[in-house]
Amino acid sequence: MAGRAGRRRGGDEGGWFKYAMLLPAVAWVVAFTFFPLISVLHFSFASYVLGQGITGYVGLQNYFNVLTSGEFWHSIAITAAYVAVAVPLEVVAGFLLAWLVSLGAPGSRVFRSILGAPLFTMGVAIGYLGVTLYTDQGGPITGVLSWLGIHIPWFSTGWGGILAAIILDVWRWTPFIFLIALAAIGSIPASIYEAAMLDAGSHWQIMLRLAVPLAWPVMTVAILLRVIEALKVFGLPFALTSGGPGTSTQVFSIADYLTTIQFFDFGKGSAMGIVFLILVSAIITFFFRQMRRNID
Amino acid sequence: MGDILWTGSSRIARYVAYVLLLLAAFWVIFPVLWALVNSVKTVADTFRTGALIPFLTFHPTLAPWRSVLGDPQSRQALLSSTLVSLGTMAFVLVLGTPAAYALARFFPRRSRDITLWFLSQRVLPPAVVLIPFYVMMVALGLIDTWIGLILCYSTFNLAFGVVIMRDVFRGISIEIEESAKVEGANPWQIFMLIALPLAVDGLIVSAVIVFAFTWNEALFASALTSQHAATMPAFILASRSTRGVDFNTASVNTLLAIAPPVILSFFVQRFLARGLSFGAVKG
Repeated sequence: MAGRAGRRRGGDEGGWFKYAMLLPAVAWVVAFTFFPLISVLHFSFASYVLGQGITGYVGLQNYFNVLTSGEFWHSIAITAAYVAVAVPLEVVAGFLLAWLVSLGAPGSRVFRSILGAPLFTMGVAIGYLGVTLYTDQGGPITGVLSWLGIHIPWFSTGWGGILAAIILDVWRWTPFIFLIALAAIGSIPASIYEAAMLDAGSHWQIMLRLAVPLAWPVMTVAILLRVIEALKVFGLPFALTSGGPGTSTQVFSIADYLTTIQFFDFGKGSAMGIVFLILVSAIITFFFRQMRRNID
Repeated sequence: MGDILWTGSSRIARYVAYVLLLLAAFWVIFPVLWALVNSVKTVADTFRTGALIPFLTFHPTLAPWRSVLGDPQSRQALLSSTLVSLGTMAFVLVLGTPAAYALARFFPRRSRDITLWFLSQRVLPPAVVLIPFYVMMVALGLIDTWIGLILCYSTFNLAFGVVIMRDVFRGISIEIEESAKVEGANPWQIFMLIALPLAVDGLIVSAVIVFAFTWNEALFASALTSQHAATMPAFILASRSTRGVDFNTASVNTLLAIAPPVILSFFVQRFLARGLSFGAVKG
């Protein structure tokens, strides 16, 4: 029963009802998270190619193949670079814009709607559109840059392709930081700002000395969420460059996808997944430590 | 926030702020505008310099829209995207809302741990479990089906439903539920008739978030479908590799692909921050 006691000590309140409510979701997650993870571990020790099934166990051979594969480490490096460049840009731009909108200028509401709009745009569609934006055959970006005397080989080099994807990622995900920062800044009482404004010369000082430190706990969660999502990135760069030229723009998810779906090497693909999971586990652990502090 | 930050700033500071905001707005709008303009051009106009403004510098045509919307494959992709997203949304809400309510009301001490545990599936990189899901879908005969995708997406998005809804239920006063209990209502009635109606706003926010993430998912969509159940991301990736990029139809496809979740998000934009940060920000 949803009673006072239920709120205070949990005890036996609710009886079987609370379990009936909770268990379906828990069972679902156990079934569809634990089993896949255990299977991946299992497959990673097997010689497993689609169509032939598991033809034997090869010990650590798959891991050896992954760890000595230049392509694998390249995909890890590309993913790390992607996260390391895109996320800081998004955080700085998102927070700055949230602050500017919070100032209360006339028209702020319109800016808020516009700047938040790309949040739910499809990565694949943005990458696909990006092809028409970056192309040197009539693309506006190349057009403007060449007018300035700058030439960036967007699609003929690996770094150009990743840079192109990062710029679109910033377009696509800055709104995420922007909206969370806006809420964080807005949750600080106005009287604090007003008092500070009497002392400080400009709103920039208030932003750096007051808003940034006060919003920081929430921003940590936002940044970690961005890092975790960016580590999973797939659609945007894949639609933009198809992983090429060669394998130069294959972030981890693209590399794993191609190993799995194009080459049907399930053993190696599984080992790649496990190694990746171990590599990012430190970040994930840090995320949970922060979440534990921030939610109640 | 008080407007003193604005009125109290110097004129230069205000100019700088406005210029930055305008630049940012232009940056956001430009790609969409580019897609809109290209979606009403002929191939010849696409590569003609100076053809920038419809009606003034080139004669707009609806041909790209007709060609995309007349193509059975893209219509099928739109249908698949819609059904899979709505199906996942419904599934997550039906499974996640009772769990969230139970966590908020009956598990005060373990609530946070279980919530964090739900979150862990959202954090797990999907590429890591792609192979087991693929094998499972083959075994169940669910490759290239809407149901197969809905099952996968429900797993990845359940965390959103549970964590956001738990936050919503915790924000609802327990007093009304208590008086209903005194009146003799059973827990199920209290949940269905009292808690749920009060949580409608939160339900809508979760629904929009789950819809958007499902709509946009590309990895599983590409791996687990081929034709029948291919959603928009899978369709776009497939046509990109087989047909290349045609500016005009690419623009139409882009606009069709980004419109539904973006339009939905405008209605709930103010509430998204709290949901997307899993309640870390109390906006």
